[in-house]
Amino acid sequence: MTVTEPRDAPPRRARPAGYGLARRRRASFLLHRRAGVVALILLALLSCACLAALCLGETTVAPDQALRAVFGRPSDAEFVVGVLRLPRLTLALLVGAALGVAGALIQAVARNPLASPDVIGVTHGAAAVTVTAMTYGLTSAAALPYLSVTGGLAAAALVYLFAWRGGLHAGRFVLIGIGIAVALRSVTQLFLTKGDHQIAQQATVWMTGSFNGRGYDQAQPLAWALLALLPAVLWAARAQRAVVLDDDTATALGVRLGRTRLGLATVGVLLAALATGAAGPVDFVALLAPQIARRLTRTAQLPLLCSALAGAVLTVTADVLARTLFAPTELAAGVVTAAVGAPYLLWLIVTHRTGGRA
Amino acid sequence: MRQPATRPPTRRLPWGRLAAGGVVVGLAALLSLALGSRSVPPDEVLRALFASGQDAHTPDAEVVRELRLPRTVLGLMVGAALGMAGVVMQGLTRNPIAEPGILGVSQGAALAVVVGIAFAGAHSLAGYVWFAFAGAGAAAVVVYAVAARGRGGATPVKLALAGAAINALLASVVAGILTTRGAALDEFRFWQVGSLTGRDAEIAGQIWPFLLAGLLLVVAAARGMDALALGDDVARGLGQNVALVRVTGGLGAAVLTGAGVAATGPIAFVGLAVPHLARALVGGAHRWLLPMAALLGPVVLLVSDVVGRLVFPPSEIPAGVMTALVGVPFLIVLVRRSAVTA
Repeated sequence: MTVTEPRDAPPRRARPAGYGLARRRRASFLLHRRAGVVALILLALLSCACLAALCLGETTVAPDQALRAVFGRPSDAEFVVGVLRLPRLTLALLVGAALGVAGALIQAVARNPLASPDVIGVTHGAAAVTVTAMTYGLTSAAALPYLSVTGGLAAAALVYLFAWRGGLHAGRFVLIGIGIAVALRSVTQLFLTKGDHQIAQQATVWMTGSFNGRGYDQAQPLAWALLALLPAVLWAARAQRAVVLDDDTATALGVRLGRTRLGLATVGVLLAALATGAAGPVDFVALLAPQIARRLTRTAQLPLLCSALAGAVLTVTADVLARTLFAPTELAAGVVTAAVGAPYLLWLIVTHRTGGRA
Repeated sequence: MRQPATRPPTRRLPWGRLAAGGVVVGLAALLSLALGSRSVPPDEVLRALFASGQDAHTPDAEVVRELRLPRTVLGLMVGAALGMAGVVMQGLTRNPIAEPGILGVSQGAALAVVVGIAFAGAHSLAGYVWFAFAGAGAAAVVVYAVAARGRGGATPVKLALAGAAINALLASVVAGILTTRGAALDEFRFWQVGSLTGRDAEIAGQIWPFLLAGLLLVVAAARGMDALALGDDVARGLGQNVALVRVTGGLGAAVLTGAGVAATGPIAFVGLAVPHLARALVGGAHRWLLPMAALLGPVVLLVSDVVGRLVFPPSEIPAGVMTALVGVPFLIVLVRRSAVTA
């Protein structure tokens, strides 16, 4: 310690402002204090939303009975909570979290909050392939997720391929993404007209992102896939710090931007496509969640954990609203999220500092 | 020659190209009448068209007159309407990717039609064409207003994004209505994908007054749009009432799009590709651009329709799907060649 150091500064302060040092024996890591607090708040909100999801609906269940049913104790509401609502809630949680992280990664790569997986065609690709498969009689819950992941990846690859011209210009990326999305939407509609009435109804419900009648069948493969992707997400959390820098700075720091971007985008697209495959396109969660999280934490990067939590809160709340708003008939959760998210996107376009460009 | 300065002196008037366009439209119409799951030779087509009495009841003549003539006429009208609407939108926004489909204008008309079918009990074209106008106009105004706000004005990316957002919002509302009302879905899903098939012969008779009204509005705004291409300030300096031109042209485009959408459902990308092709052929002056687009629009739409009929013979691919599949590569080329400053 030197004498010249001001008195209020703690000695050997090696951490940036606003970060706390979490230390446990020999392991230690930097923790953004505000992000930590926000994560806790979001977690509390999420618990409330989950409780609401379990209690509200056609029959209202008392919270204590619901919790008893969740933890396997004897309860009045074993069927309603355990069979009807818990599987659905689990799926909504997983889908929301996956979409939140996917949105954060893709927005970080594009350095543009407007480039969410919904806008650039990933979800449309998944929808097109899935509706095509449904039309040809393939409606088993086991096969559809694989198909929609394939579709989402293919659409993203197409967009990437066409937008690549000696580099990836964010504006070009978004424009081509929108174009591909329009083309895929018309393909989806083509196959909607080919199928019979019942398949059309089923596919329409799927396309708006609904958790109705879905549960562990969809949640289980999604959970395994997310678990498998966890290391990649952890890598992404580190790698995305470099990507938000401008190209020159990153290159000067020795970051291989091209590869890092490709990797991040791939992880993001995979997550978005997986979530879409499980529940259909739940629009705009991937756009909203990272933005909410960032505004709350006020970090320079998009905070992945908070994005995941915000995504889960949004999805679960949307599902509760979709069930209860027009009580006997049930809306799709995607309708609710789009009704909230699209105006937000419009607002972003109006107020975005860089004038809609990246 | 009242405006020699707007035209390079060496340039000859493009009458020849317009005439060629007319011939191509005739050929496309002939193809549309002749080809399909039952092919009719061209001379038979002509004989069937002008036949009377006994000749008018041969099987070939029935196919041509009853099935293919209405959809060809409809294709001609809607193609011309969408082509001109695209020219006007690109002219007013000075934006190369402005197009009814991308900007959400068609989706606005679609939502209004769904509301008409589901809640107002409109089941005929005459009933929901008014909904379509209102929807198209409202969506156009909202998208442009949103994109023009903020820094940089209405750049292509902002316009496209605003259009995508409106598209998503309206699509979700449509889906919300359709999931709660199954009967409307069945009527709507065939209409939703733009197609020339299965439309009554009367539809062409019902929409022509609207198309004529739109045409008059657009023509009235044509000269103003030439000035507008130079920027708002210059246009004002040239003595144009910019606001009036915008309102007239915008109204005309909304009426043309609304009528087209009400007749055939949303057909994307005709309004994108046609103005660019027309501009390449006759230059940027709207008095030539509009007629050329009115000729090329039907060509694109009819050829898409014919190809859609021929690809999977017994069943047909709707024209709206075909135009989107043809139009998207066009958009990609446009964006990659940096014609669009993203």
